[in-house]
Amino acid sequence: MVGDAMISAFKQIRFGGLLVLWFVALLIFAVFAPAFFTPANFNSVLQFSTLLALVTLGQTLVVLTGGGGIDLSVGGIVSLSGLVIASLMKAGVPISIAALAGILSGGLLGSINGFIITRLRLLPLIVTLGTYYAYNGLALALTGGAPISGLPVSFGSLGQQSILAVPLHTLVLVVPIFLVMQFTLNQTPLGRWIYAVGSNEKAARLVGLPVAMIRLGVYILSGVLAALAGLVADSWLLSARPNIGDNLELLSLTATLLGGTSIFGGSGGLGGSLAAVLFFTSLQVGLQMLNVNSIWQLGLVGIFLIGSVLLDRMIRTAETK
Amino acid sequence: MSWKRWLFGRRELTLALACVAVAVFFQFLSPYFLTADNLITILRNSVELLLVSLGITFVLATAGIDIAVGGALGICAIFVGWSVQGGWPLVVVVLIGPLVGTGLGLVSAFLIVQGKIPPIIATLGLFGVYRAAIFLLLGGSWISGLPDTLGPAVNTIIAGIPLTAIYILFFYFIGWVVIRWVPLGIAIRAIGGNERAARLSGVSIGRTKFFVYGFTGLLVGCAAFLYVARYRNVETSTGGLIALDAIVASVLGGTSVLGGKANLLGAMFGVLLVRVLQNGFVLIGVPSLWEQVITGGLLIGVLILDALAERSHAQGRPRNRGNAPQWLATP
Repeated sequence: MVGDAMISAFKQIRFGGLLVLWFVALLIFAVFAPAFFTPANFNSVLQFSTLLALVTLGQTLVVLTGGGGIDLSVGGIVSLSGLVIASLMKAGVPISIAALAGILSGGLLGSINGFIITRLRLLPLIVTLGTYYAYNGLALALTGGAPISGLPVSFGSLGQQSILAVPLHTLVLVVPIFLVMQFTLNQTPLGRWIYAVGSNEKAARLVGLPVAMIRLGVYILSGVLAALAGLVADSWLLSARPNIGDNLELLSLTATLLGGTSIFGGSGGLGGSLAAVLFFTSLQVGLQMLNVNSIWQLGLVGIFLIGSVLLDRMIRTAETK
Repeated sequence: MSWKRWLFGRRELTLALACVAVAVFFQFLSPYFLTADNLITILRNSVELLLVSLGITFVLATAGIDIAVGGALGICAIFVGWSVQGGWPLVVVVLIGPLVGTGLGLVSAFLIVQGKIPPIIATLGLFGVYRAAIFLLLGGSWISGLPDTLGPAVNTIIAGIPLTAIYILFFYFIGWVVIRWVPLGIAIRAIGGNERAARLSGVSIGRTKFFVYGFTGLLVGCAAFLYVARYRNVETSTGGLIALDAIVASVLGGTSVLGGKANLLGAMFGVLLVRVLQNGFVLIGVPSLWEQVITGGLLIGVLILDALAERSHAQGRPRNRGNAPQWLATP
């Protein structure tokens, strides 16, 4: 009994380690940049985190379902669907319909990934590498590299307004979506299926789970979440940039892995990913306040990623002894 | 063997034919395409990617992956840039890139072999570290306006053959000898095919992986040298996401990310096909912003054709389902 509890505690340690890292970072900021702990700054951390948070939630689910699950095309989907929304709005389409069309286009782009991966049984890494180029390239080529700007100011409320220092999009998108996904993953059969497919595909298939459908579903969901990120970006900047999604694929993958989701699928969860995203953005905002170039964020995150996996492995080796 | 199998069964041949077909097509639309000048330009534009793709093909053959090569290329380029700027002895200028590159490659190998970290995680982490290091080393500015001391290294043409072509043939020849004629080559493919079986039959997994990532680093260093010789500046974005370009080229060339296979000639023609298409489209007036779409479309198109061909070829044969892809494999 005690041994079991110990092991499960060890398994949580990566998540715990992340929290410790986060705490240390906050402590450093508290000493060197006390302004970090103001409501305004709290607001800007959340403001910056939404894009990555939405994309990472999708990425985590994709990685969880295993089979080499990975979605490198998310950044391109963010950019492309943002452009769809902006160009429709410029053409006079009502905001709600334009937003809906953007979300649909995200789902469509995700389903292209999902269909190629599940129908033709190709490796997600390679398929989404192809669509990474195709989507990012299309976003650049269709706009000639120039942003679509001058969106109606009324559209800015989603991206710019805050309630009690919490950005509106955090309240209406990130939190509810996280809660629903978390509930689905932990409390419903569908969630169990996702873990089952991720941890042992063969067994899941033999039990009769619709493996291909589940995988297709997570790629569509990843596309939809990326499109929502595009919507938030549009509304925040009141313009659609063709490169707004750049680097989100590697960042979201890093956040997913740092958050404790196994690259092999089948273990991990959304909470860790979200914590990793908040850690990233705190680091980014805090480093900016300390006048440290934000490129350091990328370097530190790289070190933490490698470090956390090393730690994980050492713990597991100790466990088996 | 039917003519179809002969023609399409060998990926490098198919790609070479595709290159020729595409070249003929562009020649109709732009008479400038098939001039010696333009062909040399294409070759010069492909040189770095050709070298990196050779390394990536080796890495993929072991069922590994290396995302960090772009960052490593940037770091090597900085050292080469400094050596040119400082007027260091020529030996140092030539050797520093490959040396630094090999060192960085060995760092990847160390994390993967000793740290037992899946290649994708180790190199993703290193990529971030390298990008930050590039910024630190450059101090936020660029190395630019370097003297043209290295120009001859890329611009010389000996007896009608550009020097760049000789480098490429040299390294691909070495690669071919290693993968085909040396026990190490068998070890590389054996690890990619089934690492456990390879270990049980006495293959030294660690040593082989150190070689593969080190060799890739060496090639990355050479690519950095040629990059500096060609552009005479180093930016913070140097190297960028060349890892992804190289994976595309290797996969186009018929190397599987599942490991166990390496098609060097395929990778070579994969790079050339991508570059020929990009060059040709620009010549006929398509904006160069479409470059990425061409790369992505080509990759997806080839993958789908491949899968469909295999499906019709292997009808009724049970497929290998449920195996975890090996590129994730831990040592």
